[in-house]
This record gives sequence, structure tokens and C-alpha cells, in this order.
Amino acid sequence: MAKVTRREFMRFSGTVVAGASLATMLDARQAPAQIRGTTLRMLKWSHFVPAYDQWFDKFAQEWGEKNGVRVLVDHIPHLELPARYAAEFAAGAGHDLIYFVGQILTGHYYRNLVDMTDVAGRLAKKYGGWMPSATSAAQVGGTWYGIPDFFIAIPILWRKDLFDQHGLAAPDTWEKFRTAARTLKPTGHPTGIQFSHCNDANHNWRAVLYCFGARETDPSGREVLLDSKETREALRFAKALYEEGMTPEVFSWDDAADNRYLASGVACCIHDAISAYRTTEDTNPEVFRNTFVLPEAAGPGGERRNVGEPNVWAIWKFSKNVAAAKEFVEYVGDHQKEAMTASRGYNLPFLLGQYQKPMPVIGTDPKLHTLQDIGKITSFFGYPGPMTPPAQEVLTSFIIPDMFTRVARGQDIEATVGWGMGEIRRIYSKHQAG
Amino acid sequence: MGEVSAGGKGERPAALAIGVPAARVAPRWWRSIAVRRFVFGYSLLTPAVLYVGLLVGVPFLFSLYLALSDASVGAPIARFVGIDNLLAAVESSSFRVALRNSLVFTLGAGIAKSILGTTLAFLLMQRFRGRKVVRALIVMPFTIPIAVSALGWKWMLDSQFSVINWALGRLHLIGAYGTDGWPVWLGQPALALASVMFVNVWRSFPFGAIVLMAGLTSVPPEVIDAAKVDGANFLQRLRQVIVPMIAPILLVGGLFDTVFTLSDISIVYLLTNGGPNGATEILPTLAYRVGIQAGALGRGAAISLFLFPLLLPAMVLLLRNLRRREW
Repeated sequence: MAKVTRREFMRFSGTVVAGASLATMLDARQAPAQIRGTTLRMLKWSHFVPAYDQWFDKFAQEWGEKNGVRVLVDHIPHLELPARYAAEFAAGAGHDLIYFVGQILTGHYYRNLVDMTDVAGRLAKKYGGWMPSATSAAQVGGTWYGIPDFFIAIPILWRKDLFDQHGLAAPDTWEKFRTAARTLKPTGHPTGIQFSHCNDANHNWRAVLYCFGARETDPSGREVLLDSKETREALRFAKALYEEGMTPEVFSWDDAADNRYLASGVACCIHDAISAYRTTEDTNPEVFRNTFVLPEAAGPGGERRNVGEPNVWAIWKFSKNVAAAKEFVEYVGDHQKEAMTASRGYNLPFLLGQYQKPMPVIGTDPKLHTLQDIGKITSFFGYPGPMTPPAQEVLTSFIIPDMFTRVARGQDIEATVGWGMGEIRRIYSKHQAG
Repeated sequence: MGEVSAGGKGERPAALAIGVPAARVAPRWWRSIAVRRFVFGYSLLTPAVLYVGLLVGVPFLFSLYLALSDASVGAPIARFVGIDNLLAAVESSSFRVALRNSLVFTLGAGIAKSILGTTLAFLLMQRFRGRKVVRALIVMPFTIPIAVSALGWKWMLDSQFSVINWALGRLHLIGAYGTDGWPVWLGQPALALASVMFVNVWRSFPFGAIVLMAGLTSVPPEVIDAAKVDGANFLQRLRQVIVPMIAPILLVGGLFDTVFTLSDISIVYLLTNGGPNGATEILPTLAYRVGIQAGALGRGAAISLFLFPLLLPAMVLLLRNLRRREW
């Protein structure tokens, strides 16, 4: 063993102590004194995991106590957020810190939102940069008008026991998914994906479209590209999947119906957020034991593209406490691991450095650990373009789920594509004219 | 009339000094009875005018302004675009479907409520034990918050756990779960529209019954008895005696119900959100989706304004009829 001199020992230990001290100082970064004695009001949605909201409220209060800021957190259902923002914007008053989920309105409000490029830059520097798709929800013209908080993945949940009984392979391709549904439906275990007006229908059918190689717009988000061979293939596939492997109840489903379908023991596989996994865990342990998770099924060309649900922070320009809002958002970004734990693995981070394995919750659950790589295949609506206002209107109008519904109900694919493109082009032309 | 007493302290009034009665002073015009009545009347009316003007007139004019502009939720300044938004709405097949559904929804539910409300009112007018309790129970659907009752119906019409299907299945009136014979109330286009109309009727027809009962109690029993003596049967009494006498109440109730049904967003929003494939989309849900959720305020306002030409003729006809009866 090499001999260490006293000088070398002192130099080494000094470097370690100095480094550790610097790291501690950085970690314990104090918010600027100017925010002491102020109030920070924020508006969030009511998270699907109630325990997460409890954790978050406590977390926010603790941050407030530490920094001398009075923190007020309001939670409302996510579908009510757009109306609330329209009212706050019209009044020029309201919460300091707001939150987009489901309807990402960064493109609508960016002229009235605070530039958060500084916060995005600091977080990127600390955590090795942002996922490429993060910019879609938060940037307009290269400027960060929002800070991505987390996204919700929509993977495949499948019943291994049922698949094994019939010698079926794990549904890691959409063709295997269809084969399994076709095989298991006659045994009383069909699959189910919403053909209705709900959030999940928007995510699920976009995932099928993108996996089949279809693209919603060009990368700039200005040109609609859905009138393609790949779109027709995806529609043809969905029609076959419905006829062979589903029952008509999928036309009435809301976002929670597929959770119940899995938890009731009927479904052989579904395409949904892990809320379905958690619901099953809490209500049907037997089914839960046999429920496994795959990040996404591959399309005919081998492409896997999961369509997630982004959650984004933003600050009104009329906010009375921009400094505290920015400090808090950065603080949240620094504590994504705790957020993942509190949300039982539901929240997934946008910062690349936070994907170090094992990740909290999903890294330690053998059935969820494959989700640790889902960030690499995650995109959002409008893909590969950003979430522009017209893309948002196409989303809220449910045109893509309606295209799939029409075809599943027996309408001609060409006529359906013609209808869908007509509606989508009309929306884009109105926005471009404005 | 007494003498005029005028003048200040220490001054002797001239009229008194010479012992001549004071000349009559003509009242100023604004103190005339006619003017005072006019002012008094309008001052009583002012709060109502202000209320209607501020809470109805101003929002209506604002929505008119929005409908003629390219306003969006994030743009503080909007451009005048004429009737572009109205044309854009008409060009959209989603809008045309929503318009058709709105008419079917309003007319269908209105007819059902008229029949059920009338029947219920006459039943509740009968004397029977527990009538007060039944009357109290019957108005419950109208008093329960709409979000609660709609969610209750959502469960009862659920595709998998529907208690209605369970009961019908036990009676062997429908097929087994998972087969084509199992009704999917909110998933099959015609059934979905019928379901949302049914919930609207269930919630509102007690209101119609109460309005009708209020009218019926105001009809003097002697008039009905006289009609009976004259040999009029029930339908003749209803058509030729009761309805003409309670017409003002019926017309106002009908007007209210038409407005509430045509602008009812909650039931559709909570049960189907306009799906499947627009089968239950109505103008209020479409306007909310386009104007608020998608942020296109101008186009959303234009869609909602299409309700106005639908409601206006109905209102004018009803109010003219009402006025004719009053005078």
C-alpha cells in the first residue's frame, strides 16, 4: 500500500472539507432577504393522489417558514383552471404563481407571464439539462415562460396471469396488444381504451398515432401533418382493436373508467397512468399482484412514443411577488425526489439529472422500474411541434379521439380523415389569421 | 287657504300690513303631482333597471363585442373581425351538430317536462294521506345541487356498475354484461342524448309541477264547479277554463324553463362532456370548450350568441301573449 505523507493527507482532506462546505452552502441557498415578510399565493390543481397535495402543502408551508414568506396554496379541479385563469387575467389580479395542467396555456398567456429563463437555466445547470420535450410546454420563441414541474406518464398495464394462461407475450408492441385483446376477449377479459371526450382518450389515441409514425404538426407547430398514410394505418388498427378486443362500453368511459375496469379484474390490459395501478393496489390485491407495467407499445416501425401529461409553473406579470415565486419554483425543482415519493411514483421529473437510477418509488418497485426510462420516449400533444394555441384547441375539441370513434363505429377512414383534417385546418387557419 | 306668511324676523309681511289676502303662488312645475308621481315611480324602478342593465345588459353587450372580435384569453387587445366568428361557427360541423342537439334537447325535454309536470301537479292537487310529505319529496331533485345529482346519475348510468342495468338484467329485460344486449347509456349516441335529456327532465319537472300547482290553486272552485254543471269533461275544463285562467303563470314558467334548458351546461358537462363523438354536444358546452378551455374567446362568444336568436322569438311571443292577456 502506498505511503501517504502528512502534506498529501492535509491537502486531500482540505479539498474534501472545502468541497463539502461549498456543497452545503449551495444546498442551503438562502432566498433573498427582499422576500421576507411577503405573501406568496399560488393556485394548483387537486392532484390525483390526495396524499401528494397534503405533502405539497406542508412542503410549501415549511419553505415559507424558512424564508419568512406567508404561503397560501389553493387547489381546484384541473378542468376549472382555464376559467380561473381567464378571470384572473381579465381582472389583472389573482395568484402570484399559477399552474398549467391538461390545458397548457403558455402559448396563450406568454405576453402576460414573467420570463423564467433564469430559473430554467439554473435548474438545467444543476441537473444536467431538460428533457427535449420540456420546452414544448414551457417555451415560446425560445424564452421560458413557464417551468416544467413534472409529467404524468401513460404506460401499458397488463395482467401477466391472463397472458401466461394463454401463452401470450408481453404487450410491448401494439400488434401483441391487439393479439392479446383478441385472444382474451372471448374469455371475458377484453381490453379497453376510451373512445370518448376525456383526457385519457386524447393521450391514448395520440400515443397510437405517434407510435404508428404519424405526426400531428411539423416541428414548428405551424403545419398540420395528420393527413398521412400513418394516420390511416393507426385508424385501421384502432378499428380492428375495438372490434376484436373491446366492448361498446369504451364509448362512454371517463378518465377513471379504465382504472375501475382493471381493478374489477375484467380488463386484460389498459393504457393509462399508474393511478390505475395504485387503485388496483388499494382495492384488489389479487389482481394487483398480477398487474405489470410496460412504458409503451411499439408501432409497426418499432417506434415507441408515450404521450404524457405535463404540469407547468408560471408567474403572472401582475404578480405582487415575482421574486418569491421564482425562488419557490426553483426550490420545488430541487426537491423532485421527495415529490416522486409523495406522489407514489406518479410524478416524473423533466430534469435529466433526476433520472439517476434507482429513482424513488419506481426504481424500487420491480414492476415499475422500466418507467425509469420513459422520459426518453415521452412527448406531448402537438408532437413534434410545441403546444401552441391551435394544438390546444384541437386537444380540447377532442377531434382526434372523435376520428378514432368514427372509424371504430364503422365510418369510412377516408371520410373520417377528411372530416378531421377539415376541422383541424379550420382551427389552425383561424389562429394564423389572428 | 290661509294667508301667506313671509319675511324674516322683525319684518312685517306686506300683505299682513295692509290686510289684503296674499296672491296665490303657482307651484313650480317640478312640484306638480304628475311630475312627482313620475319621479317617484321611476325612482322605484331605477334599482331594477340598474340591476338588469349591469348584470344582463353589460355582459350581453360585452359578449357581442367579443363575438365580433378576435379576442383570446391572453390577448388584452382584440381586433374587429365583423361576422367572421359567426361564419366560422357555421362552417364547423361540430357546431352544426351542437345546434341540432341543443334544439332536440330543449324541445324534447320541454315536451316531457310539460306532460310529467302537468300530471304531477294534478296528482298532487288530490287529497290523500301524506300529501305534504310527498310534495316535499317531489321537489328534492330540484333542490339537490346539480353536481351531486349529476354524479349520482353518472354512477347509475355507468357502463360497468349501472344499478339500472343490474335491475333490468335481474328482470331479464337486457342481455348480459359485455354483450351487445347490455345498454351503454352514455356510450351509444341516441341513448346518450336520451340519458342527458332524461336527467334534465328528472331534475326540472317538479319545478313545472309546482308552477302549475300555484296556478291551479288560484282558480276559484266555483268556476270549475260551474263548468262541471255545464257538462264539461276534464279535458274540456282544462282547455277552456283552467289553461286560459292560469296562462300567465304557465307562460312565465315555460319561458324560464326554456331558457334554463337551452343554457344547461352542467348535466352534459358532467355526464358525457359532449361525447361520444359529439352525440351530446350542445351549444353551451361547445362555447365553453372553444372560448375558455381553448382560449378563443371571440369564437366561443359567437357560438354562445347563437342561443340568442333561438331564445328571442320564443321570449317575444310569450311576452306578447302575456301582455295581451293582462290588458
